[in-house]
Amino acid sequence: MIAAPSSGVNLHMFNSARLRIIGRRLLQAIPVIVLSTFIVFGLLKLVPGDVAVTLAGDNASDQRIAEIRELYGLNQPFFLQYGSWLWKAMHGDLSNSLISNESVLTSIQRCLPHTLLIVALALLTALIIGIPLGIAAATKPGSWIDSIVMAIASLGVAVPNFWLGMLLVAFFSLQLNWLPATGAAPLMKDPWAALSHAILPALALASGGIAEVARQLRSSLVEILSSQQVRTLHAKGLPPSSILWRHGLKNVSVNLLTVVSLLANRMLAATVVVEAVFAIPGMGGLIVNAAMHRDFPVVQGVVFAMVLIVVTLNLLTDILYSVLDPRISS
Amino acid sequence: MKTIDLGKRTLRRRDMLALMGGAAATGALGLPAWAQEAKKGGVLKVAAPANPSSLDPATGGAGSDHSILWTMYDTLVEWDYETLKPKPGMAKWSFPDPKTMVLDISAGIKFHDGTPMDAEAVKFNLDRNRTDQRSNIKPDLSSVDSAEVTGPLQVTLKLKNPDTALPAILSDRAGMMVSPTNIKALGNETDRKPVGAGPWKFVRWNDNEIIVVTRHADYWRPGRPYLDGIEFNIITENATALRSVVAGQNDMAFALPARLKPVIERAKNLTTVSSPTLYCIQLYLNYARAPLDNLKVRQAINFALDRDAFVKATLSGLGEPARMTLPSSHWAFNKDVAGMYPHNPEKAKQLLAEAGYKDGLELTIGGYTDQDSVRRGEVIQDQLGKAGIRVKFTRGTIAEISAQFFATEKKFDLLVSAWTGRPDPSMTYGLGFDKDAYYNAGRTADPELSKLIKESRVSEDLAKRAEVFAKIQRITVENALSAPLAFQFELDALSEKVKGFKPNLLGKPKFENISLG
Repeated sequence: MIAAPSSGVNLHMFNSARLRIIGRRLLQAIPVIVLSTFIVFGLLKLVPGDVAVTLAGDNASDQRIAEIRELYGLNQPFFLQYGSWLWKAMHGDLSNSLISNESVLTSIQRCLPHTLLIVALALLTALIIGIPLGIAAATKPGSWIDSIVMAIASLGVAVPNFWLGMLLVAFFSLQLNWLPATGAAPLMKDPWAALSHAILPALALASGGIAEVARQLRSSLVEILSSQQVRTLHAKGLPPSSILWRHGLKNVSVNLLTVVSLLANRMLAATVVVEAVFAIPGMGGLIVNAAMHRDFPVVQGVVFAMVLIVVTLNLLTDILYSVLDPRISS
Repeated sequence: MKTIDLGKRTLRRRDMLALMGGAAATGALGLPAWAQEAKKGGVLKVAAPANPSSLDPATGGAGSDHSILWTMYDTLVEWDYETLKPKPGMAKWSFPDPKTMVLDISAGIKFHDGTPMDAEAVKFNLDRNRTDQRSNIKPDLSSVDSAEVTGPLQVTLKLKNPDTALPAILSDRAGMMVSPTNIKALGNETDRKPVGAGPWKFVRWNDNEIIVVTRHADYWRPGRPYLDGIEFNIITENATALRSVVAGQNDMAFALPARLKPVIERAKNLTTVSSPTLYCIQLYLNYARAPLDNLKVRQAINFALDRDAFVKATLSGLGEPARMTLPSSHWAFNKDVAGMYPHNPEKAKQLLAEAGYKDGLELTIGGYTDQDSVRRGEVIQDQLGKAGIRVKFTRGTIAEISAQFFATEKKFDLLVSAWTGRPDPSMTYGLGFDKDAYYNAGRTADPELSKLIKESRVSEDLAKRAEVFAKIQRITVENALSAPLAFQFELDALSEKVKGFKPNLLGKPKFENISLG
């Protein structure tokens, strides 16, 4: 499946057909958000444990717990509780944490940048390291370079990122004292501190990504480079470098995009663990802590934000697909 | 690496007192010179183990809140660090008769917002704590009938029944005074805007991230506090918290598990502090129903447990084997019942046989999923198994499992958990063993026990109260109403520049004595 180089890249990102796709996808996002928050809400209510017990404190009596349920409306029917949350959320009010009373929107606004920074940095790392490795392996399939790259790739997938995170801290923070071991800094106020805090967690998060990018790139490149069209290009006398860059890589770009988009989603989820290892006050820590105490407005808010991000990422991927390969938009 | 091990409390009582008293003894003990001139200034960075439930003492509920609350709120009554004996805080107290308590407030105390901390403010707080719908501490003050202002700096409490636990209760949440002006202005939004009369005032709280407090310029104690401010970085994963201290991002981490002790000791330039606390790891028993309604089964469990081995295996030795719900250094400890259940699996088997379980029995047990809890569970499972008691574990989060055991569901026969300790022992027994108490899963109690718990609050004389507690302990231990396992020592890691830190028996650090060298 080779796109003809002469067809060029459609740079009009927002023609009418595409706007219609965007509109349709945004409409589709609504039921996805409602359904996912509903399921999460249901799960929180189904699993044992009760936020009222946490709220009532260490010395609580049964009577006090009942009082708390009444006070916070926790004794209302399931659908009413979910309905009132959804109604407020639709009006832009994500409620407050039941336990600490912080506005959920405030928490998310503060935590999300930390998480996004790590994920972005990790993705970037995965591409910067993964692409050259993949190319090196694909241009000489079966060679020792190929074997080494594939070994690294297998290792990268196999190594748990929390363990790698601890190793990185032990070496770069505790031994060499180059980078901070824990915490985060606000990107806007202090970009340098924010970056230095994000480097190690991003590296830990990127290990799987590097492997994924290298492997996927290698297999699709190998396929294309052994195709008949490429043989023709060789026959035509085109230098190998130009075949690789102009014809090979352009054709694997759609595959690569799929990998990147899946990776971004997976990395968002993996931050839960990495944030705990590095004590980063991000979305992962937020939802874990809230879920532990059944603080459902916070859990709902985080799920809401995450679904929005994933839907946006997928939408962006779809648009980029049709930009890279015009046949897709039809 | 320096180690300050205050473990052998009873042997070192005299040394400890000397240590508290002055610099003279510290040299002889080879400890850092705590009592040297404390330097003023600097911001202490602390890794705090949990996000607070609230910064309003009345509406919060987690035991881990106190260390943070105390920085912003001074209490009416305070306690001695090593015995928890109540001593005057912002007020002195007296009992002119058993049903009257008089509080005389120190002059010149101001809240952070300038509101005077006077009799009106104290009455406002006590009334709010015992009647407000959002107050979680109403039961603590249930013996108070009314609080009257009887002078500009004097409040008189009329009591429904004699209650000499009140001084200790007023050293806890109920005695943390908040500014009435602030509460009136905020209505129900008091959780996140604390205004107290403590050494530091509130600056900022970002959930799960940070709490910042800064010096209260008008603090009532001359020369205090030493620190300009404290930054609590909330790190729930305790190995990560310790790493942050090793890497120098925080100056101190507290409430660390014993398994991290070697890590602290390996690190250069860190001081280890370990010291006894009231934190009692124990098995809770639901004795309202079969099979644990049978005394012999409960006793068998107590004989089957090898507490010395438990301390070694689960706390790396950083603990004291528990014989009852109070540690041996406590003023109300009853040594007469301490030796009742030596480790004796044969005796346990015999008791089980007498109870009709010749081939052993199976019990359900609840536990938590964190690393330390799992290890405790494994040791218990092994020890009970050797006496023929097979346990079937269900694990989950603390909120989930403890609610299933204590609240309405009444799952499991046993629960591996801990009692975090209270300033007054009558609170411990009242909350854990009295009829209808939440931490008494079966909700039943011997009427004699309930009577004694009330009686423990009548006299003001500690010796007389200790006699009543001795009787209470005899009942709880003879009837094997719980299976105490070990008192966990506090374990803290301090960077070298942290001076003057003293642990306390409650195991919840106070920062008032700390200065940065």
